[in-house]
Amino acid sequence: MSAVWHPPADLVRRYTAGRLDPVQVMSVEAHIARCGPCRAAVPYEEEWLTAAWERIEDVVDRPRPGPGTRLLVRAGVPEHTARLLSATPSLTRAWLVAVSAVLAFAVAAARVTSGDPDVLLAFLVTAPVLPVAGIAVAYGRGVDPAYELHAATPMAGARLFLLRAVAVLSVAFGLTGAATLLLPGPLGLSAAWLLPALTLGLALLALSGRMPPLLAGSLLTTGWFAVVLVCDGALHDRFLPFHPASQPLYGGAVLALLVLVRLRHRRLTLGERL
Amino acid sequence: MNATVEIRALTKRFGRTTVLDHADLRVGPGVTGLLGPNGAGKTTLLRCLATTLAPDGGRITALGLDPARREQRTELRRRLGYLPQDPGFYPHFTVFELLDYVAILKELTDRARRHREVRRVLAEVDLTGRAHAKVRTLSGGMRQRLALAQALLSDPELLVLDEPTVGLDPEQRMRFRALVSRLGEDRTVLLSTHQTEDVAALCDHVVVMAGGGVVFDGTPRELAGVAAGKVWICDAQPGGGARPGGAVLRWRTADGRHRVVGERPAGAVPAEPAIEDGYLLLLGARAEAVA
Repeated sequence: MSAVWHPPADLVRRYTAGRLDPVQVMSVEAHIARCGPCRAAVPYEEEWLTAAWERIEDVVDRPRPGPGTRLLVRAGVPEHTARLLSATPSLTRAWLVAVSAVLAFAVAAARVTSGDPDVLLAFLVTAPVLPVAGIAVAYGRGVDPAYELHAATPMAGARLFLLRAVAVLSVAFGLTGAATLLLPGPLGLSAAWLLPALTLGLALLALSGRMPPLLAGSLLTTGWFAVVLVCDGALHDRFLPFHPASQPLYGGAVLALLVLVRLRHRRLTLGERL
Repeated sequence: MNATVEIRALTKRFGRTTVLDHADLRVGPGVTGLLGPNGAGKTTLLRCLATTLAPDGGRITALGLDPARREQRTELRRRLGYLPQDPGFYPHFTVFELLDYVAILKELTDRARRHREVRRVLAEVDLTGRAHAKVRTLSGGMRQRLALAQALLSDPELLVLDEPTVGLDPEQRMRFRALVSRLGEDRTVLLSTHQTEDVAALCDHVVVMAGGGVVFDGTPRELAGVAAGKVWICDAQPGGGARPGGAVLRWRTADGRHRVVGERPAGAVPAEPAIEDGYLLLLGARAEAVA
């Protein structure tokens, strides 16, 4: 049979109007892909076609987000913010594994020793330091390999630092909170790290207006260990920083620091006079 | 000159070392090349201009904005593209992901628009085919092109490029020159380089830095003119020590003759000065003055 079939004008009209069923669409498209005159007869809007190709290209070319980004998007975080957070040095897999390992070791040790007070004390002293360390290495020269690359962008500085700090705080509190639930002994005592951790985390944010976060984190960690040692050595009460009577002090400090950080958050220079 | 960048008495110290010493500079639209030996202060000056480093003294005005003021600094960053000398990357990111990340930092939050911009700059630096390669698998030249691509995101009005041709092979260097030359038609490009050929091929304005200050500011032709009457060619090697007869520098050329920059050796004939000669003479004269 030598006669060549071309879709009749009515069929083409219904095709361009989007009124064909999928089988008919496939039939018409299979033909116009091979037939120049019929292809030329199908009207198209150049702007629409370009936009359509871009949408297709974007779907094909779009990088597949990592598990962390997908989790954040599912939790309601905007896609672009989730992508920003995916580069936080202290939210990388290696960092999370290290923190989880420390906490798992603390829980295992506490369970093996049936709630030995020394093991619990080690957990309580270490837990507030984890978020501080995470924030300290979340942003800044020397801790972020791409610091110089993005330091000249409008998001650099306080905006990016605070965003990353909130993400690190959330993750650190989540992991440490989960470990707390697994510890033997009264929950009230196991969770006594919570307010000291918040105090230290907020103090780090406040100090970052005066010095680089890494330096601020180092000073706060040293200060925290010094307080614990003084309580043990001079006051002969190792658990004093975690007594219920101490908690209102932390509460007051948290409120004061929250106000301070809120007032000064735009002026966070991360230790760089710019 | 209608200056888009104006730097006055810029000073920066690292400890006891003064890296920038009251440097003055005016840059207008087009491509400006920043030449100078290592330690001259080029990178420090560009970092101060790119707002990644705070100067200890002096004043910068770029695109009419003062980066010392927070709001104006953020606005300048919106209109600035910066390629650092040592751009760090997240090695586990792909090329596309890294550019996507920087595009978000440049406040391109709409995904479709952002991805369109990423594809545009990938095409500009000829990296489209490597869009999904991990950064850690790229060669040095490809990384340099990636660093250039991120600087081009958002089509900035001011481009600050610190040694952008390092690691590029000759073909890539030619492509880079064509790209920067085109970009310089409607914006300000300030680039530092050790390559006088880049300056000759690209720049309509050249600045030479040494010892933390600006020692020359003019056109490439004027820089070459510094060596007018002081470049010589001779058949025989000039006698004496390493730099005889007041020569700033001498070397054997590909055709077996000797090119001398400085005082005329016996039997030498004058030669057409090049940018390189003027540059060498400037630095040589400065070294002698210091000595």
